[in-house]
Amino acid sequence: MTGDLLRGLLKGALGPARNDSRYLLDVHSRQLPGEGTMRRYADSDEVDLVIVGAGAGGSVLAQRLARHGWRIVMLEAGPFWHPDDDWVSDEAGSHHLYWTQKRIIGGADPIELGKNNSGRGVGGSMIHYAGYCPRFHPSDLRTATLDGVGADWPVSYAELRPHYERVERELPVAGQDWPWGYPHRYPFSPHPVSGAAARIWEGALKLGIGMRAGPVGIVNGTFGNRPHCIYRGYCLQGCKVNAKASPYVTHLPDALAHGVEIRADCMAARVELDEATGKADGVVYFDEIGGAERRQRARFVALAGYSIETPRLLLNSVSRRFPRGLCNNEDQVGRYIMVQGASQTAGRFPDELRMYKAPPPEVSSEQFYETDPARGFARGFSIQTVAPLPIAWAEHVLADGHWGRALREYMRDYNHWTTVGVLNELLPQPGNRITIAGEADPYGIPVARMDYSLCDNDKANVEYSTRLITDILHAAGAQDVLTIRRYAHLVGGARMGSSPDDSVIDASQRAWAVPNLFLADGSVCPTQGSANPALTIMALASRLAERMASGAAMDDDPAARAGTAGGGRRRR
Amino acid sequence: MPDFRDPGHLPNLRPERQPPHPSWLPRQRRGTTPQMIGRYPDYDVLEAAGSWDEATRRVVLGRLGRPGPLRFFSLEEEPALRAFCDTVLAQDGEPRVPVAEFVDGKLADGRLDGYQYADMPDDRDTWRLVLRGLDEVARSRYGKDGFAAAEPATREAIVGQLASGQLAGGVWDKLNASRAWSVCMRAVLAGFYSHPWAWNEIGFGGPAYPRGFMRLGPLSTTEPFETHGATSEDPGRVAEGGQP
Repeated sequence: MTGDLLRGLLKGALGPARNDSRYLLDVHSRQLPGEGTMRRYADSDEVDLVIVGAGAGGSVLAQRLARHGWRIVMLEAGPFWHPDDDWVSDEAGSHHLYWTQKRIIGGADPIELGKNNSGRGVGGSMIHYAGYCPRFHPSDLRTATLDGVGADWPVSYAELRPHYERVERELPVAGQDWPWGYPHRYPFSPHPVSGAAARIWEGALKLGIGMRAGPVGIVNGTFGNRPHCIYRGYCLQGCKVNAKASPYVTHLPDALAHGVEIRADCMAARVELDEATGKADGVVYFDEIGGAERRQRARFVALAGYSIETPRLLLNSVSRRFPRGLCNNEDQVGRYIMVQGASQTAGRFPDELRMYKAPPPEVSSEQFYETDPARGFARGFSIQTVAPLPIAWAEHVLADGHWGRALREYMRDYNHWTTVGVLNELLPQPGNRITIAGEADPYGIPVARMDYSLCDNDKANVEYSTRLITDILHAAGAQDVLTIRRYAHLVGGARMGSSPDDSVIDASQRAWAVPNLFLADGSVCPTQGSANPALTIMALASRLAERMASGAAMDDDPAARAGTAGGGRRRR
Repeated sequence: MPDFRDPGHLPNLRPERQPPHPSWLPRQRRGTTPQMIGRYPDYDVLEAAGSWDEATRRVVLGRLGRPGPLRFFSLEEEPALRAFCDTVLAQDGEPRVPVAEFVDGKLADGRLDGYQYADMPDDRDTWRLVLRGLDEVARSRYGKDGFAAAEPATREAIVGQLASGQLAGGVWDKLNASRAWSVCMRAVLAGFYSHPWAWNEIGFGGPAYPRGFMRLGPLSTTEPFETHGATSEDPGRVAEGGQP
């Protein structure tokens, strides 16, 4: 009783330690403070660390290590945002936030990229993610042992948990006390639930499905100089309010204040290898299309370009030691890339619900997250409310087979609809992979090809979950439903493991094949659960930074490199 | 009398999945909607433009300028392009949202979407092939002088076959029709539903920074500047039980 009272009083009052980003931000402007006075390094300076990619993983790694005095340069392919001028409350006007350079998609179930899952620019994809910040469950890290599918991580949940807690305080995450996975609380109280999301919650309750408000990385209250959310609904177009968490507001202000240089509009072409020592000695990049190659020297190299660009960069880094691409002598780079099934179903109600108000992410359930043999497939899915704006809603209506007059009729009915989606845990498969396509981008760098095919378990999961959310809407009293089959998120592609035979990096996210090369993004995940990946990518980068700072990540002891699942600690 | 609480106008609940003719809808009384029909006859999102931030205002109001001229598509392709955009969006009269110009600008500037199916050409080539393919089908199967020259029912029949992946012969033996359909519709839908006239038609609140939204429901979902869905019948006659 007293404990609950105390926790209630402290909600929203406790900030994170060793990260001043929230105070460094300007109350009256949305620009990243410190850009003008940012420390600059010369290409010829051997910095301590060069990081490719200023997104969720790279930014956390930079902020942490800068606090330990590391001299760091970040190379970011996209622009240095000035949100007051660059971002708009508009769907079509936000096209420049996405990675829209060409990629080839193939396989039996090609995955649409671009605005669906790929960011570009300082802050990465979290600039336009919805804001859901769930943790992975402990079971996600042991699916091979528990369910006979996927892979076990070389990292335990106990190792990850303090970093989850730390990042949740930094974002900060708002939500109800969380009963699923490893039960936990959130630093900020849940946001109010909109009328549109409440309809879905009612339907779920009628079917005996528990849902909870959150978890979202959106300020509920004030947080340093970051204001309260204004519920305008444009989370996926970049938060002009500074209420939604992204590295741009949560980690990069502190990183700049501690001497990190972010070199924007710089496209990495390859990691340079010292053929004599076998170590990476820098990154070659272009600072303009058609420009001369530049090379940043560094003691350590970390790649954080996400599940497509990180493998692409490795595969394009060909040398005498690595004729098939860096770290790819075992043919593991690019394999086991994963997306989540993300079907959405919308329901029609008599009242005007106006789902465009309030953040699109509101209420979610992880009740179906783990394997239930009665469902006939391994692993599971989560359920989350969403709220498409008009263009996304038009794509939803089209996917149900309507165009012309029928499309216009459904569109005019927009205000009467509410939408719920799923995230399916699709299983990692070696054939789902990134390779290099036969054409080059405007820099002259060969582009990536992504092949994806669903397995039978994936298909069964998608079918079951899509039926379930439709049932939820019917239970809520929906007068009509419309369904879109789609995919979301990316992880995997250069996974960690206990052996170089079936992974690219070790338990410390250090490349098996190159002793001073680390991967610090979502590509390292061996499985994905049915949680949105942003928080886990940040937590992994936070753990990596801790281990790099202490030197533990450079430990060459084979048992240490193999992690919890390897060596004498293997539990069978 | 139309009642928006009732879903009877929704295509899935009607024979052949087709909506009623739009003549049941009220004429727009305030602001502009495509073809001057909509469900919110007294709502004009542009009246709130003064409360938008400068960057957003510039982008959205920029769409109201004089459209064109076409830069990507040729004079020969223009009729099929316009006929396709009109048909798939049921824009059968003025005022029209200039979707053809939106698509043209996107392709001319190379603002593509970041992915290309392995069995498909570049999006720009896909568009050209689709327009050529529509003309071919109109000529060979319907004896018309091109897709644009066909009457609306024929155009709808051809587009229906494209949407369901049933077109074959000529261009369509080389092009995956259902993927081509999704490439084209992505651009068309973004063009139409990014226009403030379309927001008026559907009663969308539009940009809301820095003002924000306050009425999230469940008690009310309507801000003071928004209006409820409405119809145009004479309330006096409805009260007397007569037909509007």
